[in-house]
Amino acid sequence: MSAPGNPPAQRTSATTDSEQQNGATKAAGITAGRYIGQRTPRKEDPRLLTGRGQFVDDISLPGMLHIAFARSPIARGAIVSINIEVARDVPGVHAIYTQEDLASFKVDMISFFLVSPDIKTTPLADGRVAYVGEPVAMVIADNRYIAEDAASLVEVEYAEEDPVVSIGDARTGPIVHPGTEDNIASQMGEEEIEEELAAALKSAPHLITHKVVHQRISQSPMETRGVVVTREGAQELTLYITCQSPHLVARWVSLALGLPQTAIRVIAKDVGGGFGLKNHPWKEETAVILAALLFDRPLKWIEDRYENLTASCQAREQEMVLQVAFDNDGRLLASHGDYSVNNGAFPQLSESNIAVHMFLWAAHKMPAYGFLTRGWYSNTPGYAAYRGPWGMETLIRETALDVAARRIGIDPIEIRRRNLLRLEDQPTESCMQVQLEDITPAECLDKLLANFDVAEFRTEQEAQRKEKRYLGLGIATYIEPTGGAGSIPTMTGELAQVRIEPTGKVTATMSTHSQGHGTATTMAQIFADRLGVSYEDVTVFEGDSSRGGFSPGAAGSRQGVIAGGAAIMAADLLAARVKQLAAHVMDVTPELITMDDGMLRVEGNAEKSRSLAEIANIAYGEPDRLPAGFESGLEAQYRYQPPPMTFSSAANACIVEVDAGTGFVKILRWISSEDCGTAINPSVVEGQISGGLAQAIGMVLMEKVGFDERGNPTAATYKDYHLPAISDIPDFEFLHASTPSQSVGGMRGVGEGGAIIGVPTLVNAIADALVPFGEVPVELPLTPTKLLSVIEGRDLGEKPAGEQPVIAASQPVRVEVTPAVITTDESTAARIDGDWNMALSTPMGAQEMTGHFETSGEALSGYLSSPEGQMAFTGTVTGNKLQFDLRVVKPMKITLKYNLEVNGDRIAGKCKMGIMGSMKVSGQRAP
Amino acid sequence: MKPAPFDYVAPTSVEEACAILAEAHGGATVLAGGQTLMPLLNLRMSQPFILVDISHIAELKGIMRIDGGARIGPMTRQCEVIESSALQQHLPVLVEAVRHVGHHQTRNLGTIGGSIALGEPAAELPAAAVALKATIEVRSIRGTRNIPAAEFYLGPYMTVLEEDELVTGIRFPDWSLNHIALFRELAQRPGDFALAGMVGAMSIESGKITRAGLAWFGMGPTPMRASAAEQKLLGCSLNDIDPQAIAEIAITDTAPFDDPQASADYRLTVGTRLFANTLRDAISIREAA
Amino acid sequence: MSTHNIEMTINGRRHTGAVEARVSLADFLRDGAGYTGVHLGCEHGVCGACTVIVDGRAVRSCLMLAVQADSSTITTVEGLAAPDGTLHTVQQTMMDEHGLQCGFCTPGIVMTMAALTAGGKKPTEAQLLGALSGHLCRCTGYQGIRRAAQRLTATDSREIRGGEE
Repeated sequence: MSAPGNPPAQRTSATTDSEQQNGATKAAGITAGRYIGQRTPRKEDPRLLTGRGQFVDDISLPGMLHIAFARSPIARGAIVSINIEVARDVPGVHAIYTQEDLASFKVDMISFFLVSPDIKTTPLADGRVAYVGEPVAMVIADNRYIAEDAASLVEVEYAEEDPVVSIGDARTGPIVHPGTEDNIASQMGEEEIEEELAAALKSAPHLITHKVVHQRISQSPMETRGVVVTREGAQELTLYITCQSPHLVARWVSLALGLPQTAIRVIAKDVGGGFGLKNHPWKEETAVILAALLFDRPLKWIEDRYENLTASCQAREQEMVLQVAFDNDGRLLASHGDYSVNNGAFPQLSESNIAVHMFLWAAHKMPAYGFLTRGWYSNTPGYAAYRGPWGMETLIRETALDVAARRIGIDPIEIRRRNLLRLEDQPTESCMQVQLEDITPAECLDKLLANFDVAEFRTEQEAQRKEKRYLGLGIATYIEPTGGAGSIPTMTGELAQVRIEPTGKVTATMSTHSQGHGTATTMAQIFADRLGVSYEDVTVFEGDSSRGGFSPGAAGSRQGVIAGGAAIMAADLLAARVKQLAAHVMDVTPELITMDDGMLRVEGNAEKSRSLAEIANIAYGEPDRLPAGFESGLEAQYRYQPPPMTFSSAANACIVEVDAGTGFVKILRWISSEDCGTAINPSVVEGQISGGLAQAIGMVLMEKVGFDERGNPTAATYKDYHLPAISDIPDFEFLHASTPSQSVGGMRGVGEGGAIIGVPTLVNAIADALVPFGEVPVELPLTPTKLLSVIEGRDLGEKPAGEQPVIAASQPVRVEVTPAVITTDESTAARIDGDWNMALSTPMGAQEMTGHFETSGEALSGYLSSPEGQMAFTGTVTGNKLQFDLRVVKPMKITLKYNLEVNGDRIAGKCKMGIMGSMKVSGQRAP
Repeated sequence: MKPAPFDYVAPTSVEEACAILAEAHGGATVLAGGQTLMPLLNLRMSQPFILVDISHIAELKGIMRIDGGARIGPMTRQCEVIESSALQQHLPVLVEAVRHVGHHQTRNLGTIGGSIALGEPAAELPAAAVALKATIEVRSIRGTRNIPAAEFYLGPYMTVLEEDELVTGIRFPDWSLNHIALFRELAQRPGDFALAGMVGAMSIESGKITRAGLAWFGMGPTPMRASAAEQKLLGCSLNDIDPQAIAEIAITDTAPFDDPQASADYRLTVGTRLFANTLRDAISIREAA
Repeated sequence: MSTHNIEMTINGRRHTGAVEARVSLADFLRDGAGYTGVHLGCEHGVCGACTVIVDGRAVRSCLMLAVQADSSTITTVEGLAAPDGTLHTVQQTMMDEHGLQCGFCTPGIVMTMAALTAGGKKPTEAQLLGALSGHLCRCTGYQGIRRAAQRLTATDSREIRGGEE
């Protein structure tokens, strides 16, 4: 912080500075200021350090009652009967609800993208249960102790069926959701590799086929889920809920329950971590909201850790096989990926992770890529996001590159350098049509290597191997799409509202939300800098849906980028108003005025100086002294809509030692070289990266949500679900590249990167250490048993993931679509002509549409209509097969190629969307 | 995660406690430090009618010199053992074992008797009691029993303790002042249960091993006494010992199992190594001294 | 189900209450005495968020019944800062070192640090980091927590640690 009256030279004026920046550089990066770029202490800390935070369990309302759930002890089956009589008689119990009681509410359990679920999803189990831990009944009682007493007395009789647990089970086992054709929750891409790509792979000098199995992860925020709901009269509902954006929760509840959003207020002052789990309410929270409406008393449900580890939504559990073809110099020729992710029974989104394929080779000179991507239903807790949900792309690419480097016989750093895009290669477009203008993974790698002597390490590694000590070096690079806005309804800009109070202090209301992100700190730094006031004099409010504007909060590494831009713009608008008023009061031109340390000064005329408070008092209270047309008060707001995507880049290195006697991994050194553009607060940036890297270390070495063959969770407490402790995490070293982005302020997102790049960095280091023994199968977590198996060259007994035995008792009852039966006496027109209700399975959920077909011989014409509009087409008919193309321009220019087949009253087939691959279409004749 | 209802009593004498246990006919559970029992109560895996808090019974606390050894009251907190200079001098291996129990915060409430009476097969203290040839004093209204630790454990969390019996003391015999202490465990993180661990002591007189006590933890359904290896060591001088050979004998007294943390094969492989290395290191330190 | 009258001193103030036998100390501190800075992260003694100081020692308040704490003296995170709001050394050090993000695990970590450094004690780095291994933090990757711990420990801790290993 600068001394009063002694401002750093470059901070002559916020506005001028911004103009200079915009003029001087292509990007709108901001230079380090008095606060921007500084390791300012956090605004949030004093209350959190003294126990004065306000987490959801700290909320206590008059008349509040407590909820506990009775949950399914089986993974799959029908509910035969529910008897609540004994439980209801427990003293202190007020009510017990089952889905039957909640059925009067029409609830649409929409996704983060606000799309209705593909499969019927209810708050409590509706006739069937589909995972161990599924809530079946809820008890409302005086306190949680009594609620649990009664929940244990709810008697439920089940007709148990054999469950579908793993992805392997889902491929071959029974149908998870009765009435569906198969267990595919979502699918895109081609089931057969296209000929041209297959030929390119086959003819390449080197073809690597690399498999990665990623275990299931519990997001495990230290504060579990929880909600306090109070209905205030007939019209108002207030929710205290641990979440990632109060605004998004208000929007979600409004849409899910069909209530006016104005009637819903969502408050979440402090949240103990989210990591993707708390994007929006799910079964339990929704049940509590409905119960509060039914019972009309404030209700509280706080998830306990057992529930959190066994019944909350979970993440990852993926399998992927990647083929990569190289020429003799290690240059990329072609690639194909086959990806599967376990969606559980009721995913928050039917997910097949198209982003994995979009970004897999985006930073590389890759000529051709094809894929098949699928999500599978199973009888396990539903899928939800976890920091870097698409991170498999970096994991499988970076580990495959190391395998390839060993196979081809070139250095792992060299293979990256030969294939990575450099700044001078841009702008360009990837083989998946991702536009790239300013990514810097190669430059981050340069910076990393300038600070780390690889040759020295290799000498040391060689020497140590002779002593039977196994050191390994892992290197990885990546890019990450951050600050996304405009392509998904919920991914929006951010709103900053800022005012200079009559006291001269600054108050801002932001659409941001912190679950530890420190947005109240970083935004205050921006306001203090741009308005020339002390950081201590700025207060930032967030965490209340009744204030500020809509934003999805922490989702997709976006708040620093977008809200940072909004804060800069709002502050600059306000600064201009302050100067306009001050110039009028001082009788000088606005250009002569500087704002610093809460003072407005005129260059060369100290007598004219005024405090910001004096000017603010005039602005609010002395309308006669305002310039003509000047609105009273000192307030400004700005909603910033950033570029659609802002990329971050990084290169990481770590050194490990693997104990050849035990298979234990010790991390000796870890260097992060990242480019997040302007770092508003380097300590906050490093905090985000460190937390992500720790989660990466957990994923590689110890965390695992497992199930037995009946779908029972095998890690129900922290004794069995191992989170990394302080002893597991090394000191991280940081290098910051700081290439300004195209967004206002030049920030790039940094929320998820550590969790993405950390995984392959560590896997590669372990694999490098064990090169003398052979390749390490990438089946996470890499437990001591697995690593010792590699070292000893024998299977020490743990069953490899993904090769779980198929449950013997289960009979495959997969429903096959009946083959086409074309009856000769039925005309083509009779079979096909007319209206059909169809659904297109897109990554953002099912898109409903109506198809109208008219045939004339082999000619087909008609139109498809959806809420977005109606589009006509012409095509051909062969037997019962229809073919037609549709040219669309939004969201991108693309030709949709439809191939459909009519069988009786059903229609099914595919829609091929260019490089996005094929999506399923299904439907039936309109009544 | 809230316990089911129970009554709580806090007797102030062993007699009173034993009377309560006898009267409850199995419905009572003894609360010592509670660091393992409380999670079980919170998870409702344990649902006693009566919880008998023995922390108000003065005679169950403290570390005493007795003839030929030390007597530790079951309510002695684990942190008190770590801080005991007498035990640091006479039974360093016990102190070392206690240092590895749980975490700092649980050692502040956790007790010696609680851990020993519970019989978690991967826990340090039951194995230490077996290895150090401790005797467990047990009282009930029917009388007193002195049970050698090696005969105390029947299976995971199963002991010979009857439902009306209370552990009233653990007697550790003296080991010669120059005895060799052995302790090592392999765990993923501090406070985790061991993937494999061993604890032991060897008394040496006139250059020969006159007494040996060895036990495994995390290597079977109970703490596993390595009797064959103990026998093999008797009468040996230190430079006669082949640590690898002893470890291979010791591993025959184990019966490890698969769990999500490690496979049985893994435990056998690293257990043998850990045992051999511990013995080898202890001998080389002694020979260097 | 028995009910018990208890009395304890919490953060220098006397508290009395009647509690059911099964009520944990953590729940009593939060709901009975109003000290909501005591956070429940796992209720089975692993995460450490509920750590408080009972009679001078850091303990898990989820692994203790309220009735067991009868007649004891307890400090929670609310009791550390000076009455004028000046942060306790541990709190200030954690703030200086960016040792927290969401702040949910923080009260427990602060209490362990406070217990081990009470009365000017200088634990070794190994002792303090060892004790901190009983706390889980999902946000920070422990970087700031470790730096804070190092600042709170004896300067010659590395030497002492070497001796202990």
